[in-house]
Amino acid sequence: MHKRLLNRRIGTEGTLLSILMLLCVVLALATDSFLTFQNLFDLLNNQSVNIIFAVGLVVVLIAGGIDISFAVAASVVQYVVLSLLMNYLGGGNWLLGILLSMLVGMLLGLFNALLIHRFRIVSIIVTIGTFNLFFGLLMYFTSGVSIYDIPDWLYYSVPLLDLPAERGSATLYLPAAVMVVMVILTWFILARTGFGRAIYGFGSNPESARRSGVSVWKIHAFAYGWLGLCAGVAGLMQAHIVQEVVPNALIGQELPILAAVVLGGATLGGGRGSVLGAVLGVLLLAVVQNGLNLLGVTPYAFRMIVGLIILIAITTSNLGNLLPRTTKARNV
Amino acid sequence: MKYKALLTAATLTGIIGSTGAMAQESPTIAVVAKVGGIPWFNAMEMGIEQMGEELGVEAYMVGPTSADPALQVRAIEDLISRGVDVIGVVPNDREVLEPVLERARDQGIIVLTHESPESVNIDYDFEMISAQQLGEEHAKLLADTTGCEGSYAVYVGGLSVPAHNAWADAAVSWLDDNCSGLTQAADRFGVAESVDDSRNTTLDLLRAHEDLAGIMSFGSQGTIGAARAVKERGLEGDVAVMGLFSPGQGRRLVHEGVITGGFQWSPLDAGKAFVALGEMLYNGEEITDGAELPVLGEITLDGKTIFASQPLKLSKDTVDELAELGL
Repeated sequence: MHKRLLNRRIGTEGTLLSILMLLCVVLALATDSFLTFQNLFDLLNNQSVNIIFAVGLVVVLIAGGIDISFAVAASVVQYVVLSLLMNYLGGGNWLLGILLSMLVGMLLGLFNALLIHRFRIVSIIVTIGTFNLFFGLLMYFTSGVSIYDIPDWLYYSVPLLDLPAERGSATLYLPAAVMVVMVILTWFILARTGFGRAIYGFGSNPESARRSGVSVWKIHAFAYGWLGLCAGVAGLMQAHIVQEVVPNALIGQELPILAAVVLGGATLGGGRGSVLGAVLGVLLLAVVQNGLNLLGVTPYAFRMIVGLIILIAITTSNLGNLLPRTTKARNV
Repeated sequence: MKYKALLTAATLTGIIGSTGAMAQESPTIAVVAKVGGIPWFNAMEMGIEQMGEELGVEAYMVGPTSADPALQVRAIEDLISRGVDVIGVVPNDREVLEPVLERARDQGIIVLTHESPESVNIDYDFEMISAQQLGEEHAKLLADTTGCEGSYAVYVGGLSVPAHNAWADAAVSWLDDNCSGLTQAADRFGVAESVDDSRNTTLDLLRAHEDLAGIMSFGSQGTIGAARAVKERGLEGDVAVMGLFSPGQGRRLVHEGVITGGFQWSPLDAGKAFVALGEMLYNGEEITDGAELPVLGEITLDGKTIFASQPLKLSKDTVDELAELGL
């Protein structure tokens, strides 16, 4: 049973990876700027925020829940952390910034978990509520005023790897490294620990997981707390990349990220999904957008093509489920 | 209720007392904003209050808590029952407001709109600058900066946002006619409401078009995002970035020479214009094509729409002052 589940997961990610590779080959042949360090580094830099969100979200989806408040929570984190740092802690530094972002983000996530677990409300209702609550509080307390004067440590970008390029240079920045750390951490917890297995178990069948001794509140607290923590980190990185904090900069990001994660094999029913799938889902959508820009396709056709690619990817990776059970069994 | 009683009392004393003439000549002017509490409308409110003080009329702004047309309808209903003399409004949704504006006019209230030339049940609508002129000013700036060589890209807030696309249309057609050396790199991109999206798009365009010489953004976040990307590539000076942006957000980039400049109109002056126009109309003055009006200067009248020609230039010299206003 477990082996078949594992196989099927590799199936979804395998399909996604093949589509992604195919797309990359096509783009590499069709444009001379796709397969350059500059472009690939930019893709990683630009998608690091989305990927950090995505690996947080996949944990909640695997645990059988859903959260649409995380992007707004990230905006709240940006404001709370920067206000605290600038007003009370003398500007702060990277270490303090990241720790505070994690803490505030996690608290917001735990607030969701508390409502979901303690009052047994369906997660989508809770997070629609907190989505409005967080954004409402943010607008109320900030009056929509942005923070343009962010501390210097956050303002200046931190290059990690610098290669010469035709126009400007190809540089990999700090957010990409933070993204890699978050990806590895999440992967390790989900795939290499007993607790990770318990999350999968709880997601696919909460009742039997509970009866076999899985602590339900721990699962809820971890899933939403971890997503909150990831959202905090992502929020800080977003502020770092765009060098300012705007209250409505992240609202609306939740749906594309949810789509990317579901594309990566997670289901809204729980118990399925993986970190690799989530990362591939985000990258697929990003490469499509990147390719459309580089190919010079008219922007009026963008949404149509993105929609088509999502449908194609979902259909191909689900083909396996359409085959008769016996065929599938033979493959195992 | 209390207010109404007070008003009746005021009118009564007006009829009897000698101060009567004064009270009657001094109208109450109320302006309904799209949404209160944001810098743009804070500046407009400042203009309304300044002009109210200057002319000695009671003028104030009502700001709904969110950009919801229904809230504007309710605000206008309140103003009608309060019996104000002039209602100004910056509509969130023109059509939703038509019935309530019709009711206001039926009660003899003067109705003014701003940024809504299509409105029907109004006395006048005023625009600080025509869409045509705003687009062309940007086009001229782009032509000057690039010397009409290379290619350029246009960003709008969304491919279906009417105002942004009208500005973009005017700019593109001016460039086609007057600056044929400069070609459009691709169709316009609907990314200008997000710094992230416009930054990513700009990075892609810089790679795909080696002759990219300028980016024009009709959407405030797009200018910032494009400028960040250009700066990241170290191309400030080679690739011109211009468009609408909020001065506080863009001032650092303007001083670093990444953003060339841009044009918009002043919400402060728009606030003043509401009050000045309201007072004029209340006193029965006529507005004619080519007239010289307070605040608005020389205007052209097209049906019920008053077009002023008051572009507000954003540049190294003006951006700090505007940023201080909180814009």
